[in-house]
Amino acid sequence: MHMANELLSIPVAGGTLAISAASLGFICRKVRQVIAADKLALMGILGAFVFAAQMVNFQLPAMPGTSGHIVGAVLLAIILGPHLGAIVISSVVIVQCLIFQDGGLLALGCNLINIALAPSYIGYFLYKSVTNGHFSSLKAYVGAMSACVIALETGAILVVIETAISGVLVVPLSTFLVTMIGIHFLVGFVEGLVTVAVLAYLQQLRPDVVADSLPGVIRLSRKAVLVTLGIFAFIIGAGLSLLASDLPDGLEWSYAERPDQPDFQPVVSNPDSRIAAVDDLQSKYSPLPDYSARGSKLGQVAEQQADAGAGWTSLAGVLGSAATMAVIWLTAWILRKRQPQ
Amino acid sequence: MHHAYIDKFAYQDSAIHRLDSRVKFLVVLVFTAVVISLPRMSLSILACYAVGPFAVLVWAGIPLRFVFKQILLVSPFVLVLALSCPLYDRTPVVVGFGPFFWQTTTGWLRCFAILGKFVVTMFALIVLVSTTRFNDLLAGLQWLGVPRLLIIQLGFLYRYIFVLIDRAHHILLARAGRKLKNLGFKNELRTAASMLGSLFVRSIDTAEHISIAMQARGFDGSWHTLSKLHIRRCDVFFVLVAALFISGLYLLVRPILT
Repeated sequence: MHMANELLSIPVAGGTLAISAASLGFICRKVRQVIAADKLALMGILGAFVFAAQMVNFQLPAMPGTSGHIVGAVLLAIILGPHLGAIVISSVVIVQCLIFQDGGLLALGCNLINIALAPSYIGYFLYKSVTNGHFSSLKAYVGAMSACVIALETGAILVVIETAISGVLVVPLSTFLVTMIGIHFLVGFVEGLVTVAVLAYLQQLRPDVVADSLPGVIRLSRKAVLVTLGIFAFIIGAGLSLLASDLPDGLEWSYAERPDQPDFQPVVSNPDSRIAAVDDLQSKYSPLPDYSARGSKLGQVAEQQADAGAGWTSLAGVLGSAATMAVIWLTAWILRKRQPQ
Repeated sequence: MHHAYIDKFAYQDSAIHRLDSRVKFLVVLVFTAVVISLPRMSLSILACYAVGPFAVLVWAGIPLRFVFKQILLVSPFVLVLALSCPLYDRTPVVVGFGPFFWQTTTGWLRCFAILGKFVVTMFALIVLVSTTRFNDLLAGLQWLGVPRLLIIQLGFLYRYIFVLIDRAHHILLARAGRKLKNLGFKNELRTAASMLGSLFVRSIDTAEHISIAMQARGFDGSWHTLSKLHIRRCDVFFVLVAALFISGLYLLVRPILT
């Protein structure tokens, strides 16, 4: 769920870039004070580990042919602590953008917040607060599961909020939100299962690595999984039904852009002054804030004639660009042919 | 080590490859920002903007098949969201293209504008990534103010990413050789967890060996690179041409086309 540039507006992209840069700078300074030089290699290699771990796939139940893989943010946060985990996952997101082109350059701020910063901190503190006190297997299960589910859900909800503020998409907010929450519940649940299983494996093989996060012995049991699943299904189900009834269906974020219905009244308006300020900023600083396609109906001759000129210029624009690209390609091809190897 | 295919084009040589990494990074950033802020329904101006990165890609000798494959690989999320636009925005609109006119909805225009912007900005990002060595890019980013700890982290990550991917391949191969059918969710999960756990332990051990080796050679946490950054005349020329292209299209062509 890497965000792309195209789903964001410039103020949102710039704002999230500023926020993520500031918090990363802060975390780096904080970590720099406590970390020894010999930990640097460990952090780098664990970043590479996340990439390798994402290649290890497994069959999902009830959906033949699909396979899932681990995201890894919460696992690393639990083992390394939130600061180091956040830096490692942030570096993974940056490399995904700069080498694998996953997620846009301008959307990097959003992706850092959604995928790296928010899940690391939320996951770590949830896990710690649940497993606090007397240790039991069930607590570890509930802690890791709730950390994974809620951390991933937070990222998903942030994606929805960022696209909604940007106003590029016209999907009704509630539909998008419910879809994202539903999908990420499943993803988070499987992630939680794998996280617990990896922690248990590490405890058997290298107890020193997970000594901080697992003070007691963790046992894999079907009962614990079922109990956790039950708790989560209840919480999420209740939350979703509340949410669904709360939001009017078909809330159009683009209500201001409906030339077909001049008397269209927005069902919901957001009186928050901050949102108004962001809107203001967007209309002031984005070079051309609104689109200019004309909403005319077929059969209106005068309008059609007015549109004819626009049609020709757009044809000229597209054909001209295509021709230019063809010329560039051909020139390069000829030049390369002539060059002796 | 047979995974160098991901950024192998960064190690070619051309005039574009020799440009300063800071210059390329900033130009791509500005280009992306301008393309994103173009009107949400205009497609023809996007075609004009595509010419720039296309020309640079061709000049740098990046195979177009690689470019399109890469774009296709990362497109699913954007594709799903873009295709949902026509479902929700059904305002009728007449589109003219040359002698042809047809009626469609603004949802479709939005959908194609999102996809068009996606392709054009991906062109630009691929130009940056596949003509700049990652180490040079890191040196440029450090000059631009990215924290040193993050630069070191990214340097290590890049150095070992292919080593560990290789290891993961070995583990996956071993599982494929032993597993002849679907094991059921519980056992699949348990196997995957063991694989991840052993990969994790191996990573930690590798890190320990590396850091001992580095300390033996005097590593004290500071990072030295061979990447030299200097702005030459061709960098200035590149910036001028790019600025002329971006602003020229924006000021002269955009008002005509939209």
